[in-house]
Amino acid sequence: MNELLRALAESDREKEAPPEVEIRLKAAFRRKYKRRMWPYFAAAAMAAGMASFFVRVPKLQTMEIAVVTPPAPILRVAKAAPRKVVHRKQPQEVVTEFYPLMEDPPPFERGELLRVSLPAAAMRSVGVPVSEDRLAETVQADVLVGQEGLARAIRFVNTSVNRP
Amino acid sequence: MLSGDEEAFTALYRRRQGPVYRFALQMTGNVVIAEDVTQEVFMALLSKTAKFDPARGSLASFLYGIARNLVLRRIEKTAEIEDYAGPEDILDDLTRRETIEGVRRAVLSLPPVYREAVVLCDINDTSYEEAARALDCPIGTVRSRLNRGRSMLAQKLAVRSSV
Repeated sequence: MNELLRALAESDREKEAPPEVEIRLKAAFRRKYKRRMWPYFAAAAMAAGMASFFVRVPKLQTMEIAVVTPPAPILRVAKAAPRKVVHRKQPQEVVTEFYPLMEDPPPFERGELLRVSLPAAAMRSVGVPVSEDRLAETVQADVLVGQEGLARAIRFVNTSVNRP
Repeated sequence: MLSGDEEAFTALYRRRQGPVYRFALQMTGNVVIAEDVTQEVFMALLSKTAKFDPARGSLASFLYGIARNLVLRRIEKTAEIEDYAGPEDILDDLTRRETIEGVRRAVLSLPPVYREAVVLCDINDTSYEEAARALDCPIGTVRSRLNRGRSMLAQKLAVRSSV
């Protein structure tokens, strides 16, 4: 019997939750921490406002003083060499079409697009062919999350570099 | 992760989701439920992170514990899980794949209290101590449930070999 249970364990060894679960969890994680961060931003903004108020008040009470500016020294300035214009390589994104993740979604009212990193196996789950040896690679994707917090659609992003 | 580090959460999820998913799958025999349970386990972890106490046990047993509660709830209230109680239709074929599926059906036919002990200890190599934490019972209870589960399983599989 032990052998049979071992065989069952062996056959299940590679079984894992599909990539959609990771997408949904990441969306939930972002929603949670986005909400948790806003009080800090608000507090920081308030502190900045108060700081600028207190810094300004003493200025109103200061007395005018005469400032004597010494004459500027004469300096010889060497002619600057013409700058070499460097064309930096601009990253360019190529995106696929959106692939639906829900079969019968409720009407779309509003949502947000989340950029996530996923195993390439996620592409297979929506029907995009991926070779076996590249399944474990990480790909970038944009997930469209609807007003109800569910991942509705996904598109994959390829970041290539534009040659000047 | 507590400070909102998404990479840490992703790394944790990728490392831990496999055992949770397999546990739910082996307990229910249903991929949809296994997927739901896996998601709910990590959602619960997101909302209850502060409640995980490393002094009380490993993260693995904590996650199994959440998964177990979710699985039992689903078993109680859903008809999605087929009743595999009849041993006579288990393992009719001799091919390896069907043998494995037969063993899976035999495991699924065990009552949940014995099934979870067999799934954790015999299939997923969880220690008695970890299983006891996940199942929220003493180690002795895990041992006795495991023994009972094994003998029930042996009976079901013996029926097959005698057919």
